Amino acid sequence: MFRVDPLANPEPLIRRVYAYVAYRIGDGPDAEDITSETFERALRYKKSYDSRKGEPVAWLIGIARRRIEGRPANLEISSEHYETADRGDLEDDALRRIVLSGAVGRLEERDRELIGLRYGADLTARQIAELHGAKTNAIEVALHRALGRLRAQMEGDDESSPAVRKSQAGR
Amino acid sequence: MRSWRRKRESAGLEAELRANRPEPSPELLYKLEARVREDGRRLRAGSFRIAFAGALTAGVLGALASVGGLGYAATGAGQAVEKATRVVHKHGVTTLHKSAARAQYSKPKAKCPKGKKRVRGKCKKVKKARGVNFRRPPFTG
Repeated sequence: MFRVDPLANPEPLIRRVYAYVAYRIGDGPDAEDITSETFERALRYKKSYDSRKGEPVAWLIGIARRRIEGRPANLEISSEHYETADRGDLEDDALRRIVLSGAVGRLEERDRELIGLRYGADLTARQIAELHGAKTNAIEVALHRALGRLRAQMEGDDESSPAVRKSQAGR
Repeated sequence: MRSWRRKRESAGLEAELRANRPEPSPELLYKLEARVREDGRRLRAGSFRIAFAGALTAGVLGALASVGGLGYAATGAGQAVEKATRVVHKHGVTTLHKSAARAQYSKPKAKCPKGKKRVRGKCKKVKKARGVNFRRPPFTG
């Protein structure tokens, strides 16, 4: 039987897996380690990939999720892993990115998971539902709520940020 | 109006999340891509070797078949097998099932009960033929 190679085009897969992991545990060396481990495992168990069960990215995300869940407890996620910098001398885009990353980092585990799957790994609500064993509608609602909480976090950041306040005053 | 605004805000945030999604470092990307491609190349090389060996075998067989080599080889192999069988085959002790001695000294067959007679190895009731009942003639002195 003809077998599909799930890693035939690795670059977009690496980007999507990394983005998911970084949304989950924060950008940096830990996320890189988890991404590397995910691909090592994927290479080792490539033969077990079944194209009828889903796309390669969903398969890889499944592996990455297990790697994240199996991490030692002392590697718990902290907001330090998310981007933080002195906001005083940053451009607006960079500042916005940092605010976004920080806000994601302060979300609850489940919200981070959903945002990572939807906007990091670029999975559809249906694919996320299959991964979680939930209904698509329930995932859409959960995502909507997670976005609401993220927005609230960001609005809180914007109000508390001196750089933003300064830039707003300058306008 | 409010829900439209909220929807627009939500779409903006979604776009922002997508646009600002974390990117892997070029080193990681390069390293992992190279690792995956190397693995793929190794597998492809393995399958190419198998395919090449298969094609070569098929070619040789085709060439042999075209000049009758296969029939020749089959006959040779058949003869070799026959010879080997003849050499290796072990003859057992021949037992004669029908012999004069066996007829004489074999185990005696069980007698049939009264009124029955052995017909083809089985005891069967013998019918008296009609009209053969013999009556003793009356005593006349």
